[in-house]
Amino acid sequence: MAQSTTMETAETGAAVRRTILDAFVGAYLIFAGLVFTGWGEADIVPRVPTLATAFFGVAVLMAIVSVVVNKTGIKTLGWQIYAPAHLRMKSTEELATPIYRTFWGMQMILTVVVTTLVGIKMTEIDVLKLLEADRFYHAMRLFGELFSPDWSILPKAIVKVVETIYIAFIATVIAVPVAFVLSFLMARNIMGGSKLGFTVYAVLRTVFNVSRSIEPILWAIIFSIWASFGPFAGMLALMVHSIASLAKQYSEIVEGIEDGPIEGIESTGASRLQVIWFAVVPQVVLPYISYTVYRWDTNVRMATILGFVGGGGIGVMLAEYNGQAMWPQVGCIIFVIAAVVWIMDAFSSHVRAAIK
Amino acid sequence: MSNILSVRNLVKTYPNGTQALKGVSFDVKRGEFLVVIGLSGSGKSTMLRCLNRLHHPTSGEILYTDKAGVEHDIAQAEGNEILKIRRTMGMIFQHFNLIPRHSVLNNVLYGSLGSTGSLRSMLGLYAKEDEKRAMEYLRLVGIQDKAHFRAAQLSGGQQQRVAIARALTQSPDLLLADEPVASLDPATCHIVMDYLRRVNQELGLTIICNLHFLSLVRQYATRVIALKGGKLVYEGSPSDIDDKWFAQIYGEGAKEVHIN
Repeated sequence: MAQSTTMETAETGAAVRRTILDAFVGAYLIFAGLVFTGWGEADIVPRVPTLATAFFGVAVLMAIVSVVVNKTGIKTLGWQIYAPAHLRMKSTEELATPIYRTFWGMQMILTVVVTTLVGIKMTEIDVLKLLEADRFYHAMRLFGELFSPDWSILPKAIVKVVETIYIAFIATVIAVPVAFVLSFLMARNIMGGSKLGFTVYAVLRTVFNVSRSIEPILWAIIFSIWASFGPFAGMLALMVHSIASLAKQYSEIVEGIEDGPIEGIESTGASRLQVIWFAVVPQVVLPYISYTVYRWDTNVRMATILGFVGGGGIGVMLAEYNGQAMWPQVGCIIFVIAAVVWIMDAFSSHVRAAIK
Repeated sequence: MSNILSVRNLVKTYPNGTQALKGVSFDVKRGEFLVVIGLSGSGKSTMLRCLNRLHHPTSGEILYTDKAGVEHDIAQAEGNEILKIRRTMGMIFQHFNLIPRHSVLNNVLYGSLGSTGSLRSMLGLYAKEDEKRAMEYLRLVGIQDKAHFRAAQLSGGQQQRVAIARALTQSPDLLLADEPVASLDPATCHIVMDYLRRVNQELGLTIICNLHFLSLVRQYATRVIALKGGKLVYEGSPSDIDDKWFAQIYGEGAKEVHIN
């Protein structure tokens, strides 16, 4: 009884999701097709409200089509993605049909092809432009200057790149303990046990998913106003992004741990904190270190860019010379950044290999 | 002899609808070596985990009389009470469930986590007495010379002996063993079973042990219960399991495998 009810709920949920997906894929295909054939070439912006309404109208139509098609036993892309496991049994005939001859396969291939065609149109791809004599000559001159770096600014570049490395390091160091604590609160297997736990888990996940989707460069803009231009603003930007990223990566490690040691420690009557400390932490500590080193490495790379928006370090220097089109100086800075990134990358991959 | 455990109508239904236990009742006498047999999926592991509340029973009673003679219903216990009950029951597992990167001695000391404060244990400050006891039990299972090795460096049989020492460090009333020899080779398997028997006979510890092999059951059990599809289908002495019972428990066409 209980079992059949849960299965029915799963089927209804899957059917709803299937219909929604098919509806949007269908409406998307029709609209993308129209865009490609030149429809809406004129200024599209004022017509967005009308178009949006039309889009949802078509989506409703497509939802009906999806329901009808599935009723006839033909499986759509939505079904293929969302169908619950117990309905996925395939007949030998179905197994023998190549993907491109199934309905959902054609749906998928059509979507990819249409998206690629629209994409080519939107990016205004024009290879010939690269080969125009004038433009080509200018580009070659720029490369020439970049490749004859002005080494006289090397000492200053080194001082600044060292600053960048330290900015990245401090951002990582501050982020680690915060992310460490958060990682357990954001792991479903640790928090899923009670209603309160699950609420904390869900709220934290949402907050950090949102803050992680804000790029460090945007944080740097905010902090360069809040904390004024300079290394401190850059460090804060990297720190915020690092906390969100590390907490997410750490919590995924926690979710992937083995249950055995947990049962082993739980069976002794240990407290919740002891179970985490003795059964969970030993399993996650090495992957944590590995991710942390990689984070530092990533932060150094990001920090070089943050200077453009006032985040301190070598990026500020790069922005200055770039703004004055002083290419030999830019070449020198690019060389320094490349060398540091390469060294950091080698260092972090060595550390991670040693830990494995 | 008095009952240490009295299980009544134990039911466990998992959230996905699987009914692992469909009303199981049996008694466990103090000091016995009770073996639970049955196929994989018969509910043995679930049953054992309900006894120390690693899993939470859906309904039924688990009446447990502790050392002091006080009776508890484990099925109704909540929060800290569950932790207290677990402290009086040691448990060993098919895959040993040690902390592989930690030392053998530390793994054994984890048996005293329950009686050590969280902060003290996290700083590694165990009572001198606990440390003495941990070494003593390591000696009992014959691996005192491996005390400072990492648990992962030991063989399967040795790891299971560490797990026994960990359980003993809890000074338990009852030892739960879930397929303790299922991932060991036949020779090692007897060594581990012999230690369990020693613990049962010399320390007077009550043991409830899930096993696959009937030949082991005949050799070690003082009493047997059998589960099939979440129901109790046999209860009695190991020597009374004849071919007819064997076919009933394991299904027609099953053949007994001997392990010597």
